[in-house]
Amino acid sequence: MSWRRLRTLLQREARATYRDPFTMTILVAVPVGALLVFGFILSIEVHGLRLGVHDANGSAASRRLVAELAAQDTFRPEPFATREALDRALVSGGISAGIVIPPDFDRRLQGAGPGEAAAEIRVLYDAGEAVLAGNAEAFLRGLVASSVARIVARDAPAPELGAAPAGGSPRGVEVVTRALFNPTLDGTRFMVAGTFGFVLSFLTTLITAVSIVNERLQGTFEQLQVTPATSLEIFLGKILPLGAVFAADVFLMMVVAWLVMGVWPAGSALFFLAVSSFYVLTSLSLGLIFSATSETAAEAVQKTVLFSIPLVQLSGFAFPTRNMPAAVMWLAEIFPATHYIRISRAIYLRAEGPLTLLPELGALFVFAAVLIGIALRVMDQRA
Amino acid sequence: MSALRRSIATILAVAWKEAAIMRHDKAFMGMVVAQPVMMLFLFGAAVTMVPKDVPWVVYDRDQSALSRRFVEEVQSTGYFAPWQRVDSYEEGRARLARGKAVALLVIPEDFRRDALRGRPAVQVLTDGTDPLTAARVTGYVSQVARQFETAPVARAARGADGPLEVRQEFRFNPTLDDHRFYLAALAGMLLTNLCLSVTSLGLVGEREGGTYEQMLAQPTSPLELVLGKLVPYAVVSYVVLCIATIGAGLLFGVWPTGSLFALAAVTLPFVLASLSIGVFVSTVARTSAQAVFLTVFFILPSMVLSGVMLPYQLMPLAVRYAGGLLPLRWYQIGLRRVILRGGGIEDVLGPMLALTAIFAGLLLLIRLRIRPRLD
Repeated sequence: MSWRRLRTLLQREARATYRDPFTMTILVAVPVGALLVFGFILSIEVHGLRLGVHDANGSAASRRLVAELAAQDTFRPEPFATREALDRALVSGGISAGIVIPPDFDRRLQGAGPGEAAAEIRVLYDAGEAVLAGNAEAFLRGLVASSVARIVARDAPAPELGAAPAGGSPRGVEVVTRALFNPTLDGTRFMVAGTFGFVLSFLTTLITAVSIVNERLQGTFEQLQVTPATSLEIFLGKILPLGAVFAADVFLMMVVAWLVMGVWPAGSALFFLAVSSFYVLTSLSLGLIFSATSETAAEAVQKTVLFSIPLVQLSGFAFPTRNMPAAVMWLAEIFPATHYIRISRAIYLRAEGPLTLLPELGALFVFAAVLIGIALRVMDQRA
Repeated sequence: MSALRRSIATILAVAWKEAAIMRHDKAFMGMVVAQPVMMLFLFGAAVTMVPKDVPWVVYDRDQSALSRRFVEEVQSTGYFAPWQRVDSYEEGRARLARGKAVALLVIPEDFRRDALRGRPAVQVLTDGTDPLTAARVTGYVSQVARQFETAPVARAARGADGPLEVRQEFRFNPTLDDHRFYLAALAGMLLTNLCLSVTSLGLVGEREGGTYEQMLAQPTSPLELVLGKLVPYAVVSYVVLCIATIGAGLLFGVWPTGSLFALAAVTLPFVLASLSIGVFVSTVARTSAQAVFLTVFFILPSMVLSGVMLPYQLMPLAVRYAGGLLPLRWYQIGLRRVILRGGGIEDVLGPMLALTAIFAGLLLLIRLRIRPRLD
């Protein structure tokens, strides 16, 4: 290991990277673009959803219910004259949910005392859009219940203080809810913290994979290998400049997330930067392994892409790992990205420090050691 | 007329040449088979937004039979891991802060007394870092709370419910299973991957190999060349569509409920549009590495913005409109109408129109880019 040789290799790699305008563009555009795209897509707030209303009752009470539903931003009611038309609109995707108010709605509502059947309305969801329906369900149900309670309260004489709630049924517990760390349940912070994991896993691996294969195609990699440089020096000469570039990328993303979306780590920014830079080494080694075991650039890219499909779906970036079947959950644990994304979210959102994150940090360390070891061996063999 | 016939013959000749190359490409054939299997498994069984085994803690300050019954009812919804007891508010909060629990249910001291008087209340604190899970967990607890009988009264003596009964019905997917939602759009994801990668690499490869100039030297017009290259891939796309549809049906029971003709019809303009994006990328990229980067970084946002994974209806308006430029957005709308909701040809005319417009726009762009390039 000679410092002079290593320095030469570092300079060479840095110059090669900075001279390639396409790579430089990718290095800036992809992280920023990913932040902007992913940052805004996860929204749980149901807003302006089209709600078909078939009001077979047409009474003052039913009209008031519809008006109450329209008063919120959540739903945009659209009247339908017949039940068939409403069903049809559900199939064609014109509406996401529908409400059917039966002809005897107002009569039943007034008479809903002890011993009599309650008024009934029917809520239809387009469950083909399962995620949307799942989100809208709790919203719509709560909204209908509270609207009806208001209508009944306005029509009926005010109940005595301390009397049982409307309808006289001993039912219902009030729930006061609060979301810690993110009171508005804003998806931006969650996705921003995850995007670091996505960019640092995928872009880094891809760029490394392509860069070495391209060198091999041009013959410059063989030239490197016949110089007195050892494989450790070549490895460091590749990894360190790229690592520095991606550490700068992490910083760039942090700044963009802060300026554009107002998202800054709740925990220590320095700790986050340190962990992220360390994680970059893992991804870079993976890229080296892919490229050292591939004959062509296309093959290296195919390996990277095939590896990254489960990365997006299984790492918890988009879908919580907890929801998966047990076997898949264990499979997800062997992706370094799963652990990094957990750490990134813990620091960004819950202000966790190194102490509580020790198991995850340990896992990252093991991955890095194993992958760097394999990368060095593979490069030795190719020499 | 004869010009048109000659043109078609030329296109078919180019298609024949392209198909012959394709047949010998092992990596490509592997992709056609391996990717559907992997994606079927991922979206049919692995990923879901429906919470499972949610860790939660209970701080029960009432310790009455009633409060215990409330906890048991929440537990019996089936979304939660067995509950754990905490003895102080701080302890519960600390569990949330360390990510060891997603929800903390606090039952106040006078829960039972309030229940006798009127309306009791409980508090639910959630870990908002994962907003989707937090919102759903809150929803589940609220639903239990609304139905919870605070006094042991004979139900028959009272109205069955409060003043109102809300009957919910989940159309097209009664269990609200989101695997069905993903599987219905599976063909869209597979075809996006396939169409973009084959064409974007193909044309650049020919330029690097020098065969592109040879083709330009033939009496084929650039547009004929492009269309000829698209034909064999369009055929392969239908094979992939069959694999995805039959796979989802056999393995997960998600058979198309609507018209198969509509399914085939809406696929054609989508495949053409996706292939043209690949061709366009290859006219922009100078090397195959660049083509790969551009393709990959087009595919990923289209998976996210088109609404195949997350509902596009909830995204901000600007993002929603931007997603409208992606072929996958319209195709997944059409796919889900036909596969899940039993739609017919009249339900996919809108998406088909949008896809055709995107295809036409892309052809125009390609025509503009391909002309002056014989450098």
